[in-house]
Amino acid sequence: MKTLVLGLGNPILSDDGVGIRVAQELKDSLDPAEVTVTEAGVAGLDFLDLLTPYDKAIIIDAIQTREGKPGQVYRLKPEDFMATQHACSPHDVNFATALELGRRLGILLPQEIVVFAVEVENVTTFNERCTPKVAQTVPVVVDMVMRELNGG
Amino acid sequence: MFYCAHMVHSHIAHFYALAAPDFVLGPTSDPAERNILGVVAKVGLEIGGEVIKHRAYAQDIQNTIGGKATHPVFGLPGGISKPVTEEERKGFEEKARSEVEFAKFSLKLFNDVVLENKDYLALITGDIYTMKSYYMGLVDSQNRINFYDGDVRVVDEDGKEIVRFSPAEYLDYIAEHTEPWSYLKFPFLKKTGWKGFIEGRESGIYRVSPLARLNVADGMATPLAQAEYEKMYQTLGGKPVHATLAFHWARLIELLYAAERLLDLSQDKEITSPEVRTIPTATPDEGVGIVEAPRGTLIHHYQTDNNGIVQKANLIVATCHNYPAMNMSIKKVAQAAIKKGEEVSEGLLNMVEMAFRAYDPCFGCATHTLPGQMPMEVTIYDSQGEVVRRLSQNLPDR
Repeated sequence: MKTLVLGLGNPILSDDGVGIRVAQELKDSLDPAEVTVTEAGVAGLDFLDLLTPYDKAIIIDAIQTREGKPGQVYRLKPEDFMATQHACSPHDVNFATALELGRRLGILLPQEIVVFAVEVENVTTFNERCTPKVAQTVPVVVDMVMRELNGG
Repeated sequence: MFYCAHMVHSHIAHFYALAAPDFVLGPTSDPAERNILGVVAKVGLEIGGEVIKHRAYAQDIQNTIGGKATHPVFGLPGGISKPVTEEERKGFEEKARSEVEFAKFSLKLFNDVVLENKDYLALITGDIYTMKSYYMGLVDSQNRINFYDGDVRVVDEDGKEIVRFSPAEYLDYIAEHTEPWSYLKFPFLKKTGWKGFIEGRESGIYRVSPLARLNVADGMATPLAQAEYEKMYQTLGGKPVHATLAFHWARLIELLYAAERLLDLSQDKEITSPEVRTIPTATPDEGVGIVEAPRGTLIHHYQTDNNGIVQKANLIVATCHNYPAMNMSIKKVAQAAIKKGEEVSEGLLNMVEMAFRAYDPCFGCATHTLPGQMPMEVTIYDSQGEVVRRLSQNLPDR
């Protein structure tokens, strides 16, 4: 089974880089023959190109919800994003739309997609580090991904 | 070649994912269906597959040349990071041929779905989506469109050249106005000056975009795109065209041009030359670069210190150039669509969005919020300034 661990975000935009940090931590401890660990700063239709060759994908990204507290981690599935099928950007389609499009067109996508979303505090300040509460969450998410890879 | 592939991918994504739903499904169709999924359901899975395939081809060419399609590791001082191999070149040529055919198909689809529909043609040429302005874009020595080299040419509402300047001179011709209600600046032509949000010759407001590029150019540098260029101006009543929704048509003509250029360059004997970089030895001091990004003119200006470290950077991106015009286009549609005593529907919000969407604006898309929908509010006032009705979508609770 081919598995992808994908850290998403912008590494120089404070907490937005949390997914990248987790991917970087995981890179050295996973066998590249079994798991591909990669980082990207893409969205929308670009997802299809990234996910296509894999059976399972674990995505780590930053999230901001209305009542969320920085450092909280949510384990989400693609169906959790279905409420956002309207265009959220005037510039590209969103995650749920891209996945649904891929499915309808018969593009081979991972059978299982898990998203670890880390509630973040600051995604507007240029900084190569996450804020303290989010930084403390990085090893926690690394553990969660490892457990996910080992079958939960 | 890399940049043409970039244009191809960006224009395909914009047309099929963002513009086509308004025309294939209709401006006032059910918003749940008015997206790329609805487009695919209507035009067929096979065409949907071709869209994804050709977008991926363009991404693959960028990926091979630049290491990554998005955020490539490619352009370096003095050249590029690595040469193209003969095997890669063959692959590019094959993909480019396919892109040309796909661009021709896309223009045929636009013709069949949009131009042959009298209502849509009336919408494109009608007053509410029309705005007279100056236009700006890069041209080569023969005044043909060029995406990454040449002079900046500005034409007026009659298509007459009013200025032509080299990138380093941009500050002599462009200035920026500010408003207290926005953190985005409002560029204008210095020659005319900032006269407020008004249309036409008296205003310093100009537009950049695929249509602006076609309006400033005397033609296209490739034969198939040239024929489509002529058809567009013939259909829409001559140059320049002021129809904001014609940005989409121009975008497809540019898709064809970019695909043809991609094919030309993939067959160029020099393209596999190993001589890809001359490392500069002088310490840089100041530089201005202007290219045409998919959505319009892009200016980068840098000043460095004695160690070559950047001390000052100024960027004027396409969305910024278009910001004054975008505000006016939105206002014009809203004012025309809201009629006294008539129900204001969800379709109205989309009609307003269509004016905005044509510019393919690139505001920060990188925030990660749920529910992740585009918030929008339309407030209708009566002549006394009293709020008659508020219509909104996806606004946070108050």
